[in-house]
Amino acid sequence: MNRRVLGLLRKELLQLLRDPVVLFVVVYLYTLEVVTCTRALTFEVQNMPFGVVDQDRSVASRRLIEMFDLSDAFDLTRQSDTPAAVNAWLDRSAVGMVLVIPPGFDREHRAGLRPALQILLDGTYSNTAESALHYAHALTARYDAEQPPLLRVSATAAHAVAVPRVWYNPDQSTKTFMVLSMIALAGMMVGAIVPAASIVREKERGTIEQLLVTPIRTGELFLAKTVPTVALNVLALFPALIIVALFDVPLRGELPTLLIMAAIFQLSAVAFGVLVAAVTRSTQQALLLAFFGLFPILFLSGTMTPIESMPPLLQWLSRLSPLRYYMEILQGVFLKGSGWRELWPQAVALLAIGSTLFALAAATFRRRLQ
Amino acid sequence: MKLDRVAALIGKEVRELSRDRITLALAFLMPLVLLFLFGYAVTLDVKGIRLGVYDGDGTPASRALLDRFTATRYFTLRRHFTALSEIEPAMQRSDVRIVLVIPARFQRRLAAGETAPVQLIADGTYAATAALAVGYAEQIIDGFPMPRPADVRIESRVWYNPELRSANFVVPGLFAVILMAFPPLLTALAIVREKESGSIQQIYASPVTSAEFVAAKLIPYAVVALLEVLLLVVVGTLWFDVPFVGSPLLLLVASCVYVLTTVAIGLLVSAVTRTQLTAMLVALLVSLMPSMLFSGFLFPVFTMPLGMQLYSAMIPASYFTEVSRGIVLKGVGWNALWPNLALLMAYTLVLFGFAAWRLKQKVAR
Repeated sequence: MNRRVLGLLRKELLQLLRDPVVLFVVVYLYTLEVVTCTRALTFEVQNMPFGVVDQDRSVASRRLIEMFDLSDAFDLTRQSDTPAAVNAWLDRSAVGMVLVIPPGFDREHRAGLRPALQILLDGTYSNTAESALHYAHALTARYDAEQPPLLRVSATAAHAVAVPRVWYNPDQSTKTFMVLSMIALAGMMVGAIVPAASIVREKERGTIEQLLVTPIRTGELFLAKTVPTVALNVLALFPALIIVALFDVPLRGELPTLLIMAAIFQLSAVAFGVLVAAVTRSTQQALLLAFFGLFPILFLSGTMTPIESMPPLLQWLSRLSPLRYYMEILQGVFLKGSGWRELWPQAVALLAIGSTLFALAAATFRRRLQ
Repeated sequence: MKLDRVAALIGKEVRELSRDRITLALAFLMPLVLLFLFGYAVTLDVKGIRLGVYDGDGTPASRALLDRFTATRYFTLRRHFTALSEIEPAMQRSDVRIVLVIPARFQRRLAAGETAPVQLIADGTYAATAALAVGYAEQIIDGFPMPRPADVRIESRVWYNPELRSANFVVPGLFAVILMAFPPLLTALAIVREKESGSIQQIYASPVTSAEFVAAKLIPYAVVALLEVLLLVVVGTLWFDVPFVGSPLLLLVASCVYVLTTVAIGLLVSAVTRTQLTAMLVALLVSLMPSMLFSGFLFPVFTMPLGMQLYSAMIPASYFTEVSRGIVLKGVGWNALWPNLALLMAYTLVLFGFAAWRLKQKVAR
């Protein structure tokens, strides 16, 4: 059997290497796409345009506006004396937040009357709006702290104070998370689509009939069709590692562990692709099905949004997504320095998903061809 | 352009589509599946964060503090640690995402009128939620046992989405993204399929002009896309209980324009590719991925670096996301939205022009 598989494998490898578009897309997904997404996508509040209605026009109000404008979170883009303009600003999404400083703010503050600042938020991006409000609270607290002690309301009552420490990613940058997500995603997409297209192409052209009259078995065919993709994806991790290093993400675990785990994950990704090819008849169907099968896998994996926030049914379904385990593996190996001792359950889950999909694909494939 | 020729070609296209059960099912089922998936799974609301606690004090005060945590929907208590050494392995296995360490003498310090430190250990791997979780936890701790008065109060008011529900912003944004998923791909594949199988040569040899050919390919898929929009808008707003503030008619008009943009992108992709696999990969890279990631559907555009903001401005979905959110959530009318619609229209015309020119070149050769 060895020579049969090797011969077919050689043909598949050559075919893959001769397709510059596919190779380009693979490299693109593992490098450029990772960089652009990581640099651009964040849930942190940065440079949120905000408008000010300063009805006080005092030193105090100007200082407050300055503090908001100088922070990383906010950028002053609109200013007015009357609240009349606020509606149009928010309607046209010119600003995400409006700070309204009421008349007499400075005076009341000096008198210790605890004046109110009004903050209007565009709730369209609910998550960002919430973070922005947290920032606004922190900024006004800092403004309070700047004032001479005589003016401050005494806050000496006994209270608890939080000492937060963030592990694994101390500066809480979403970049770390994003880099790893995008790499996991690239692996999933390439792993599923390339073998699906390659098998279904043989079906469409009729060359599969020729393969069937040879002594090649279904399992061997799958092997030859998927091994090049697995190898390609594991190799593509090396350029991705450079990108990871550029974003200062540490590799705390061991490289061999990472590579073997990636290969295990690839088995389930290509198995999905093979299953898609087994149930479809034309390239168009296979591509569409692969494409849309990827969505649930992607969105239930926790690479875009936290699994904890999903409803229970979806949380349960997320256990079926191979990408979920790969993401946990990547985060574990890179950030937490975990090894086989912590990550074996994920590896077992991936193997189980992969072999189930392969078995399903083989069964469908044989039935269809008879 | 002769109408009867176009009609005949459309008839052929419709028959082909209606015989392909899998594609047809995907065309109408997948948008719904995506809608439910996104609507439920894409929630950035922080809730049910797995909390662990090490209570080194074991007094009524420390238990009262813990009660304040479990009383909110943000945290669910998963583990009671009895030794500090248990924390690290639990964090490694992601059993807990945030750990509250209440040191000994917590109650005595409070009784003595001192400040009592409480340690919070958070897992930073999911940075976006970690930051919010730490924020909530700090708020709870700093307000214990009594909220402290601040010198400046903040009165906040949230417009358009007062409960800050994720679904309210995800669902209207989805109209833009899902429409970028299907129509461009379907249109591109419909044309490239003919190229790959060689049947396009027969079209070239026939009296059909390139404009007629393109129109016949686009009209059926534009109709499919328009039906998808209707399905999405009705099911999306009703099922997810998204308030529809603006004018449905305006949304319909805007959708028509956007549908044309999506099929035009498919046409363009088909003009520059030769095989179905490349057509699909290119369609993925130019239409769906950017629409999902850079259009402001999930990640606000203003947080992106300037270069990416310009890139975002080149993506039609950015304009339509704004239009559909503007109509659905904000209830804005024609006068605020016409620039976006005009841009989409211009974009579409340019795409059509370019694709027609490419196809014509091919025919002439």
